[in-house]
Amino acid sequence: MNALKRNTYRNVAALLAGVIFTSFVVLQVNSPKIENPPVTSEFHGPEEVTRILKRSCYDCHSNETNLRWYDKVAPFSYKVAADVEEARKRFNFSEWDSIPKAEQEGKLWYIVNMIDAGKMPLPEYAATHPSAKVTPAELTILKNYVTNISRKHYAAGDTAAIIEKTKVSHVPTSINGIRYFDDYKNWKVISSTGRPDNGTSRIIYGNDIAVKALEENKILPWPDGAVIVKVVWNSQAPDADGNVKPGNFNNIQIMVRDTKKFADTEGWGFARFSGLDLKPYGKTASFATSCINCHQLAKGTGFVFDIPTQAK
Amino acid sequence: MKSLIAILISAALAFTFTACHDSRELMPAPETIFDDHGLHVITSFHNDRTRTISVLYGNDDALAYASQVPGVATPNVATPGTVFKLVTWDLKQNPLWFGSNINGGVQSVETVTVSAGQSAPAIGYTIENSVQKKDEKAVSSNAERISFIFAQRASVFP
Repeated sequence: MNALKRNTYRNVAALLAGVIFTSFVVLQVNSPKIENPPVTSEFHGPEEVTRILKRSCYDCHSNETNLRWYDKVAPFSYKVAADVEEARKRFNFSEWDSIPKAEQEGKLWYIVNMIDAGKMPLPEYAATHPSAKVTPAELTILKNYVTNISRKHYAAGDTAAIIEKTKVSHVPTSINGIRYFDDYKNWKVISSTGRPDNGTSRIIYGNDIAVKALEENKILPWPDGAVIVKVVWNSQAPDADGNVKPGNFNNIQIMVRDTKKFADTEGWGFARFSGLDLKPYGKTASFATSCINCHQLAKGTGFVFDIPTQAK
Repeated sequence: MKSLIAILISAALAFTFTACHDSRELMPAPETIFDDHGLHVITSFHNDRTRTISVLYGNDDALAYASQVPGVATPNVATPGTVFKLVTWDLKQNPLWFGSNINGGVQSVETVTVSAGQSAPAIGYTIENSVQKKDEKAVSSNAERISFIFAQRASVFP
């Protein structure tokens, strides 16, 4: 009886081992292959900058992916392949010039901020590829690099004559249904910002629900119905006393909290209306994905960057 | 195999670490929100030298005054009843976005009022400072501040 039991156990164990081994082999055979398409328009920057980016970012964000042996072992290979695919979609240093120049600058600031926040290189990737880590000294090099680019770009400020209001004949609506409205002008200003990174000045308004949420420190998550409006102007060059004043109106951005309607973007609906004719941004509703990707950096404040905070 | 295990463990630790550690958790400071009591936003500006950021508020008369095109509208005189409030905050780097400077606590609220005087409109000026900044602001004279505030042009809103 005992011998029979032992035999049964042995058979089950052998069967199980067989199944596991077969699955492992099948996983390996079907493991996704990562191709390296040709490098068409590579990123060019100072040598010390490209060296850091190549070492820390290029494995995923370029067509020069250099896989280690353990990256090719299933099941990890599946995660690696998915990460590389997503990374190349967000930006690809091998096809850098396919992005418009103005957007390149914005992407560089985004990259620096993702590294600054410890979100990039992905922590699990950095742990398994320690050489990819960006040291504090290297981060400073990258920060100086982007700061100098923008300083040069925006040194003259907005010198164009300021164009006054032109009446918009219809109420513009974003593709996701968010309509432009004027009522924010009666709301409280919750913060204001000066942005040397993109040469703009901003005032941020909150509706009563948003202000109440801030007052009660109930922004994780923000309540449904909270609306935040950001008015953006191009900054002029500093005057003799150093005051940077707003020049031409650039755009207006609206964030609407509706956890059900905007479930795909952490419960926030985004809209941007550019120029005095308030042209809605985004041809398809998927434009909001890039909004929330960036706003992930403000996860600790409910995905809102500009909440009122005290100086340290 | 050992190295693979080490890699797996460190990856697991990295996950745990990032899950627990977020230096970007900020407490809202709603006390820095200015209660405008229904005044309009007229304009705003920031200054990297003084590390301050300001918003100029005003009533209907103040907005109308600041919306005039200099030299075109005559007479370019503020009507009695005009009220301006210039709110100035500390400027600091936004911890959530390197490249953005955001307001911190309120430093001062300056109020300029225009009232009917005997021969010409009388202009009043007061400043409320937060305690620690009291002495720094005293250097510029009231007259300078009044003309500075009157010189601000309204920002263009859609």
